[in-house]
Amino acid sequence: MSPRYDAIIIGAGHNGLVAAATLARKGRKVLVLEARDHLGGMLGDAEFRVAPLPYALRPEIIKALQLDQKLLHGTRPLETLTFGADGQPLRITGGHVTGTDAITEHDYGALYARLGRQAKVLGAMILETPPGLGKASLGEATALARMALKLRLLGKTEMRDLLRIVLSNVWDLLNDEIGDGPLAGALAMDATLGGAMGPRSPGTVLTLLYRMASQSSHGHGLRVMPEGGPDALVKALADCVTAAGGGIRTGAPVEKILVDGDRAAGVRLASGEEIAAPLVLSNASPKVTLLTLLGVAHLDGEFVRRCRTSASKGMVARLDFDIVEPPKLRGGGALTSGQRLVVAPTMQAIETAFNAAKYGNLPNRPVLEATYDGAARRLSVSAQFAPHDLTGGWTDDAKARLSTSVLTVLDDALPGIAPTVHGTRVMSPVDIEVGYGAYGGHWHHGELRVDQLLMLRPFDGAAQYRMPVAGLYLCGAGAHPGGDISGAAGFNAARAALRDGGH
Amino acid sequence: MAATANPVAQVHLGLEPGPFHERLVAHNRQQSWVNWMGYASPSVLDTVEFEYFAIRNQSTLFDISPMCKYAITGPDAERVVNRLVTRDIRKLGLGRVAYCIWCDEDGQVVDDGTVFRYSETEFRLCCQEPQLSWLEDIAWGFDVQIRDVTREVAGLALQGPTSCALLKDLGLTGIETLKPFGIAEFIIAGATVSISRTGFTGDLGYELWIKPADALTVWDALMAAGKLRGLRIIGYEALEMARIEAGFLLPKVDFLSAQTVLRTDRASTPYELGLDWLVALDKPHFNGRRALLDLSKKTPRRKLVAIEIERDKPAHNALVYHKKTRQVGMVTSALWSPTCKRNIAYAWLDAPYGQSVTGDLWVEIYLQKEIRWQRRMARCQLVDKPFFVHPRRTATPPGDY
Repeated sequence: MSPRYDAIIIGAGHNGLVAAATLARKGRKVLVLEARDHLGGMLGDAEFRVAPLPYALRPEIIKALQLDQKLLHGTRPLETLTFGADGQPLRITGGHVTGTDAITEHDYGALYARLGRQAKVLGAMILETPPGLGKASLGEATALARMALKLRLLGKTEMRDLLRIVLSNVWDLLNDEIGDGPLAGALAMDATLGGAMGPRSPGTVLTLLYRMASQSSHGHGLRVMPEGGPDALVKALADCVTAAGGGIRTGAPVEKILVDGDRAAGVRLASGEEIAAPLVLSNASPKVTLLTLLGVAHLDGEFVRRCRTSASKGMVARLDFDIVEPPKLRGGGALTSGQRLVVAPTMQAIETAFNAAKYGNLPNRPVLEATYDGAARRLSVSAQFAPHDLTGGWTDDAKARLSTSVLTVLDDALPGIAPTVHGTRVMSPVDIEVGYGAYGGHWHHGELRVDQLLMLRPFDGAAQYRMPVAGLYLCGAGAHPGGDISGAAGFNAARAALRDGGH
Repeated sequence: MAATANPVAQVHLGLEPGPFHERLVAHNRQQSWVNWMGYASPSVLDTVEFEYFAIRNQSTLFDISPMCKYAITGPDAERVVNRLVTRDIRKLGLGRVAYCIWCDEDGQVVDDGTVFRYSETEFRLCCQEPQLSWLEDIAWGFDVQIRDVTREVAGLALQGPTSCALLKDLGLTGIETLKPFGIAEFIIAGATVSISRTGFTGDLGYELWIKPADALTVWDALMAAGKLRGLRIIGYEALEMARIEAGFLLPKVDFLSAQTVLRTDRASTPYELGLDWLVALDKPHFNGRRALLDLSKKTPRRKLVAIEIERDKPAHNALVYHKKTRQVGMVTSALWSPTCKRNIAYAWLDAPYGQSVTGDLWVEIYLQKEIRWQRRMARCQLVDKPFFVHPRRTATPPGDY
């Protein structure tokens, strides 16, 4: 079996495609193997997307891959509509909010700007390999030093403020700054979405800052929609791979990573076909990659323990409702394609929903994020908290109960929605796990938590993309900097592999 | 809300009596006990000199029931044991025992012990420190069962030149054909006993593995047969002398488990311990292999060496100097060996001492002579282990002493 490829990328999620494109553009012969019939992973299934609402692909990556930033970041960011108990919705775009009083508008604007400055400090690490614990290379140490410098350059007051809040919870921060309500609810939704944490959980300021650190041509912390929807992003990345001479195969699930002499040697597909390559990058979650595809026999016991005990419990369910007409908003107008709806009237509502899920139950009133796709005539809802380990399991009945409670909550923002729905699909965290190689059905392949970030992501000893078996790399959301659609994990992993020799 | 109290299993307070305790109590004139893994274990029963000389000249019984024992069984048992230890356990024959060490992911030694292989799929691990959670980590993902059988197996070490003859007197035909590190089953006083030709004395000897219910019956049979063979019950202190002579290391004395150290540099690698011969880097992945591969190419930062010291005073807890001035190490175990007539010790020496620099080494010994302390600098030199070697240890059949 002589290697026909320099590198195999397991999984054509956006990170896998970014990694493949980065390697291919450096002259490496790459092959992307995707188990499903569509590209783009959680972004890509046009029938039922796990992640219908991307954050922006990092501008640095767009530049490195020579993609069309205007196309990928759209002409303007999404506007967020957040609903309180009554009245008109608040309309938020970045640091600008309307529909509330002038003082809150001002306070929110100031808070958003401050968090943005503080998020930039974290942003310094996003495109870097996190330093090794105890044995950082010069380059890694330099990146950390750069972050320290940026921290200091915030000025004494703001640096102290960041250090004060960074490990605390978003509940305290937002109550101090803007008070509880639909505005705080929308921010707390950003801080908690995808994770097993409520606004009162420690570390939620950090996750909020993480979201704030996302970068697009319109500014930081914004959701953007590529022109042509998520498919346009997936197509742009896939085209980038093929244009650079890379191959992509769908319907080719990988069953095993082959190892020869303690080095990655290729993969074996479920069909039995073996494909050799000295470099294997896995876009699957760390647990699936290491415990299932590689196998624990190649790993030390402590490493396996840290891997299997890392937190990755999925907490989001996805629901698609087929609706012919754009849904009518409370207070007039209709939800359009450029808008994002948040139904989290208070932080307390999010916390209450989390309380049920903590103990394996579905909340009576889940909190929601929704968009309407006018072309597909579909309302896509992300509902939290829907625990992966739901008591009694994810039966059809459980899904029906969730769907009913989601429609009840939606009715507050979109009155009279239920009768207009003529088709419903529900995707539980278990479905996400089975369908996308994401252990626990976790969006980010692992909780974005202070003990699972930077040099501890996905866990201690595995944080620098390269795995103990030489030639094997993690390139998915489980690796630093983690989830959301930024492409940074795939980009960093590919660069780490190239730095290591690229084989 | 009313508090609900769950009944908790009563934990035994204080030291626990072992399976031979009744007999040990009867013989323990000194009433001198030490805590060995929660069991009351005799340190000296009579006088340490009598007990020590019985090891080298007669035969001795020592209760080793407190040793931690784990049964590792199932289709993947060999893979799991091979993944645990640094030796290539695939080469261990059925009915054989191997001395092994195991390491953490950084190549630091977790513990040492003996691996007993009963069949293709049945192993037993004997060691000093509890290892259950470690074994469960190592075995995760494999088709294997791990059970702590410490309390299900009583152990007796029968050691000394007359031990084989004693067993023959008991009617154990074929015991003389049992080779070192071999295992075989015999009947003693109607009880089935698994006997391995292993021990911690560097002498001819056996270890007997008995069901706790049979413990006293077997003990009594051995004691009765031992009358003419000079059988003596011994405690920890006499064994400690023999094990230093025999060149064996003792965890917590000569080295610390990587699991228990607070300061990470206090753990030891196999190369530092001089146990290179136990590391099979050419076998498939095992715990710590990658780190050990790196370590094998480097000079150890320090080395545990055997030294012989001038004059007769044992160098307990002594510091080691180069040219009498530069402190380069320390002694962990020391003994005036009555059999070898040598003043022996193990010492840790920081690199390069004990490796490229071996001359002009001195040990600082503190002596107390009727309250007055004196300090003596005694020259020492590196020697090979073991200090005590006797052909009867490996002779098969052993001589009829």
